Amino acid sequence: MQKHFITLLFTLSLTGLNFANAYEMETTFHGVLDLRATVTDSLTGNYTQGGYGKFALNDGESFTLAQAGGEIALNWDNGLSVHAVANAYKNNGDFKLGLTEGYIKYSGLPNASGYRWQSKLGVFYPKISLENNAYAWASKNTLNSSSLNTWIGEEIRVLGNEITLTRLGRINKDPFDLSLTVSAFVNNDPAGSMLSWHGWTISNRQTLYTEKIQLPYFKARMQGYDLYEQASSSDPFLEVDDRVGGHVRAEIKFHKKGAISAGYYNNNGKPYIVDNGQYAWKTRFTHIDLTWLLPQGIVLTSQLLHGDTLMQSPLKTDVVNNDYTNGYIALSKRIKAHRITSRIERFNVKDNDKTVGDNNTERGKAFTLNYTYRLSKPWFLSTEFTWIDSYRPGRMYTNQPINLTERQLAFAARYFY
Amino acid sequence: MFNKLPIQIKFLFISFFIIFAPSFVANATNTLTVNVVDTNQKPLENMVVYVEPIGHKVTLKNTNTLEIGQANKAFIPYISVMQLGSKVKFNNQDNITHHIYSPVGDNKFSVKIRSGQEVIKNDFNEAGEVSMGCNIHDWMSGYMLIVDTPFFAKSDKNGNTEMVIDKSGQYKVVVWHPQMTDINNRITKTINLNSAMAVTMQLSKPMDEIPSQQNEDDFDFLSDY
Repeated sequence: MQKHFITLLFTLSLTGLNFANAYEMETTFHGVLDLRATVTDSLTGNYTQGGYGKFALNDGESFTLAQAGGEIALNWDNGLSVHAVANAYKNNGDFKLGLTEGYIKYSGLPNASGYRWQSKLGVFYPKISLENNAYAWASKNTLNSSSLNTWIGEEIRVLGNEITLTRLGRINKDPFDLSLTVSAFVNNDPAGSMLSWHGWTISNRQTLYTEKIQLPYFKARMQGYDLYEQASSSDPFLEVDDRVGGHVRAEIKFHKKGAISAGYYNNNGKPYIVDNGQYAWKTRFTHIDLTWLLPQGIVLTSQLLHGDTLMQSPLKTDVVNNDYTNGYIALSKRIKAHRITSRIERFNVKDNDKTVGDNNTERGKAFTLNYTYRLSKPWFLSTEFTWIDSYRPGRMYTNQPINLTERQLAFAARYFY
Repeated sequence: MFNKLPIQIKFLFISFFIIFAPSFVANATNTLTVNVVDTNQKPLENMVVYVEPIGHKVTLKNTNTLEIGQANKAFIPYISVMQLGSKVKFNNQDNITHHIYSPVGDNKFSVKIRSGQEVIKNDFNEAGEVSMGCNIHDWMSGYMLIVDTPFFAKSDKNGNTEMVIDKSGQYKVVVWHPQMTDINNRITKTINLNSAMAVTMQLSKPMDEIPSQQNEDDFDFLSDY
């Protein structure tokens, strides 16, 4: 997989060089640095290290490099651009650095009827998150993303193409823009495994493209149980079954008011194919997204995601068969250099299979309150409190409480460039 | 003092005025004041007013270079007007690149302007309206009206424009704005101009709302997700 990614980047660079001779090029470099002092009331082992703790940090106090993200773009005058995004994290004493996205993009000019084609090719996030639209996929108004988008950052990323057709209202004298995005992709077959095995989580951590995620302990992984063949780490950006998946999304955007979008993701996994302990999971979900400007300058952001995931034994019996739902509502208001954001979330995983030693059931809710002060143009100082209350019988495999309340208080200095 | 001059000088002086009087009259400098008001008689600012001769020609050219800035991710000004054949200077005052374009009609164009740079265009070959956007910032919107007459102006906050027209005769006064809901976004009136004149142009329909060029998101570090 790493080889595929390098080949792709190499091809992209060559394409870029060809165009460089013909057109003028501009290079832009942007990113974010996020330094945090955090107090976490959680479990000893966090979910990024094979635990059940729902934050990316272990119980206790810590000073962390929560994110050092950079994106470089080479832009040609003909609308073509090449992008690479890298991220680094130093959490729990563990330093990780790598690429998270890399793609080539083309943006055409609108025609006389106001229609515009845009396309992307490479490794990228399907258009889902309404929160992570700052540089290097950082969350704009909160330090930690919602559990919905933390999952997108952990397991959903594709190697594929994406075509967007936009109808601009400005040219048609309509007060709205319409757009339709269609994507075909590979290399996202194990998506769904971490959602099943450690459940919904809340952090700003994105899985690096070459990274594997350690599984938590549960009985079914032991010898003699159904998941003994599963590797000890999940490699979410892997192609296992050689089948193409897809994502479609439609959006209507009202200028200065808001936008409504809906999409459907299906990795089209053949759920009984296994390769080196990595299964193809059949993971499908629908998402509905809303952002709206309310009176008093309050911005409402809300997303709802519902889907299922299925993984079977080579004999085609269900091993993991889960339904899941997640929704959040966030309100944010800025007064001069001050911004306050609050977010409530509800999430669940419903376990439909009979596999012994692998109970994926989960129900929970979370609340986040963030205050951010903009010290200068690039510097943002934030205080954020997060509370997660969850019911997860699977924590009994590690003798941890089934009902658990976790809290985190973070102080951050974020610098955008 | 005039009485003390020799008779020959007096004669020449008077004759001069008599002989050239018609030309002085025909080329009298007429100031035309146009006041633009809405359906409730309220003055309208930043409306384009232009005046075209009817049945005669005007040789005068107004070839001032038009400046259209891109500042705070907006076209400044929102509305511009120039005579056909003039140059336009696009001036990017932001610290990011803009990709200015117009997708419709004979004056279709597209140009990328980097931060702090200027681009001069002199190839607008047809009169008419040029609706401009930015392909990077979709909410940016600007208009340029290219007219085939040297007499044009934009109304001030009292709805007034003043044009100096050096030839008497019949003229068509036109008021244009992209958000006018009258046919072709215009109203017109024919006048006979032979002295200083004031005309009031009243819209027959209310204007549409002028679209805001401000981005809905005030966060400065958005990527293309």
